Amino acid sequence: MALKNEKQNPAFYALIAALIVMSVGPIVLMLATSFKTNVDVYDASVSAFFFAPTIANYETVLCNVLWYEPAHVDYCNPTFGRALGNSIVVALVSTGLTLVIGCMAAYALVRFKFMGRGTVSMTTLLMRMVPPAVLLVPVFGIWTFQYHLDGTRLGIILVYTAMNLPFVIWILQSFIVQVPIQLEEAARMDGANPMQVFFLVVMPIIKPGLAAAAIFTFRIAWNEFLLANALLDRNTRTVPVTIVNSITEYDINWGVIMATGMLLAIPPVIFTFVASKQIITGMTAGAVKG
Amino acid sequence: MPRIRLEGLVKRYGAVQVLHGIDLEMDENEFTVFVGPSGCGKSTTLRMIAGLESVSEGEIYIDEKPVSHLEPKARDLAMVFQDYALYPHMNVARNMSFALRLQRRPKAEIEQKIAAVAETLGLTPFLERKPAELSGGQRQRVAMGRALTRDSSTFLFDEPLSNLDAKLRGQMRAELALMSQRVKKNMIYVTHDQIEAMTLADRIVVMNGGYIQQQGTPEQLFKNPVNKFVAGFLGMPPMNFLDGELTHRDGTMFVSGNGFDVRLTQARSQSLQHVASKEVVLGIRPSDLSHDEKAPEDRSLSLGIVVSEYVGAQTVLLCDCGGQKIEVELKSETPVRAQGNMRFSINPEGIHLFDRQSEIAL
Repeated sequence: MALKNEKQNPAFYALIAALIVMSVGPIVLMLATSFKTNVDVYDASVSAFFFAPTIANYETVLCNVLWYEPAHVDYCNPTFGRALGNSIVVALVSTGLTLVIGCMAAYALVRFKFMGRGTVSMTTLLMRMVPPAVLLVPVFGIWTFQYHLDGTRLGIILVYTAMNLPFVIWILQSFIVQVPIQLEEAARMDGANPMQVFFLVVMPIIKPGLAAAAIFTFRIAWNEFLLANALLDRNTRTVPVTIVNSITEYDINWGVIMATGMLLAIPPVIFTFVASKQIITGMTAGAVKG
Repeated sequence: MPRIRLEGLVKRYGAVQVLHGIDLEMDENEFTVFVGPSGCGKSTTLRMIAGLESVSEGEIYIDEKPVSHLEPKARDLAMVFQDYALYPHMNVARNMSFALRLQRRPKAEIEQKIAAVAETLGLTPFLERKPAELSGGQRQRVAMGRALTRDSSTFLFDEPLSNLDAKLRGQMRAELALMSQRVKKNMIYVTHDQIEAMTLADRIVVMNGGYIQQQGTPEQLFKNPVNKFVAGFLGMPPMNFLDGELTHRDGTMFVSGNGFDVRLTQARSQSLQHVASKEVVLGIRPSDLSHDEKAPEDRSLSLGIVVSEYVGAQTVLLCDCGGQKIEVELKSETPVRAQGNMRFSINPEGIHLFDRQSEIAL
C-alpha cells in the first residue's frame, strides 16, 4: 500500500517542475546575468549560463563600500550604497514604529470597552482596501506643500507606517484575544502598572504575532516603489527607485542592475529568517488551565 | 495582620445587581472562607477586595483605611488564581520573583527569598522550567509560591484547588492548612467545596444569591444553621429535610408528617410555644440517625430501605419515609437488611426545624 502511494502520476512531476522553473527561473537568470560583462549580455552568441564570470558588476555597485578600489571603475557612483542605507533605515524604522503603535492600538481595541469599538476595528481594516496609488496624489500634495516632508526619510516612514498599520492591528488583535485575561490580572496583583502589564506580560506572549507582522511590514516597506519614487529625492531614494532610475535613455547596464537586484534581495531574506525564529506555537501553554 | 471590613458592599452589572450589601468583618490572621454555589457572588466579593472589580456601592476598609478606590498594587494583597495564571514566557523562578523584580528589590534578597519559598513548596528542582513543562499540581504550587514570595499581609485564594484531581486536592488542602498555621497572615479563600471550607476555615461565610446567609466558625454553622440553605449546604451527605407539622399533645410538642411523629424535648417545646406557623421542615443529618430496633416510637423513624451504598467505614442508606427520600449514615458493621423496614433513633440534639415558608431556623 505504501509503495503504491509513492508512485505518482508523471504529470504531477511535470507540473511541479514547471512551477519551479517559473518561480526560480527569473532569479537564476538574474544571478547569471549579474556575473556577466555588459558585452556578454548583449552578445547573442554567449550562452545564458556558460560564460566567463566576473564580479565586476558587484564591484561597480559596491565601489564606495569596498575596502579596495576596483581597477575597472573610473568614477565611483555612490548611489547604491546610499540607497541601501536609506532602504534599511526606512524599512526598519517604519517596521518598528508600525509594531509599537499597532500592538498598542490592537490591545486597546481588544481590551478596552468604549463606544464604537467594533466600528473602529472594522474600519481599520477597510483602510487597507484603498490602493496606494489613490493616496499618491493627495499625500504628495500634503507632504510637499503643507508639511514640507517631501524628499525626507521621515516623510516616507510615516506613509509606510500609516499604510501598514491597519493590517498589523488586525493581525495582532487576534493574537491579543488569546492572551488569558487572568495573566493580566495576576500581573496587576503583583504590582504592575498598566504599561508594565502590557510590555512585560502581553508583549512577550504575542511575540509570534509581532514577528509575523514584522515580516509583512518590512517586506512591504522594502519593496515599495510607487510612493518612494514620488516622494523621495536624490539623496533619500531607496533601492527599488535607484534600480529603475539606472535605466537611462543613453545606457542600460543590465549587469549592474542585476547585481543590484541580487543585493536588494538579501536583507529581507535575512530579516525573514531572523523574525521567523520567533514564530513558535503554543506560546500560552501552561499559563492557565486549558 | 490587618483587619478587613466590608461595609454594605454592592455590585451591579448594568441593571443586574449581583451583590446586595455585604457586611463582614475579618479579624487579624484569620482564615476566612467564602463558600456557596456557583453564581452566589463569592468570587465577585473576593475580586472586589483584590481591586480587580470596581465597587458599585459600599466600602472596603483595610485597617480602617478605605481602599475601594485604590489600585490592586496599593492594597498589599497577594492572590492565587483558579487557573494558575502563570506567565508562560518566564520560568518558575522568574514567575515567582515577578512582583519583587517590579519593586526593584536587591538581587541577592530576591534569590534568597525564591530559594526559601521553593524549598518549602518542593519546587527547587523545577526553578528553571517553564510552566508548560510542569504538571497541574506543580503549577498550582508555583502559583502559591508567587503569592508567598511577596510579603503581603493578606492572601486571596480564588478556588485554587478546583482544577486538581481528587487525590492531589486532598494533599494540597493539607499543605494549605499547614501553611496557614505557619504563616500568620490573613487568608481569604473562595470555594464551592464545603469540605475545603470546613477543614480550612477559622470563619466560614456562606453566601447565596448575593447575600451572606450566615457566618461563623465551622462548628457554629454546622450545629446551628440559621436557615435551610446553610443546613443543606454544609455537611456530607447533606441534611435530610422532611415536611411536617407542629402539633401540641400531652403537654409537649410533636413534629409529625407522613410516616413520622417525633416528640420534641421539653426545652425545645418551650421555645416553640409562640411560633405562629405550624408548617415546618424537619431537618436531620444522616449521621444523627442510628440503628436501634427497640427505640421508642416517638424518638425514632421507621424507614424503608431503598438502596445501601457501601463507602468503606460508613454505609449510606437511601431510605423512604412516607414518600420522602431520606439518607442515613451508619457504621459499616451495622447489619443492614436489603429490603424491608428498619428503625432508627434520632439524636435529640440533631433535630433542626425550619419554617416552611421563610426557611428560617426555628
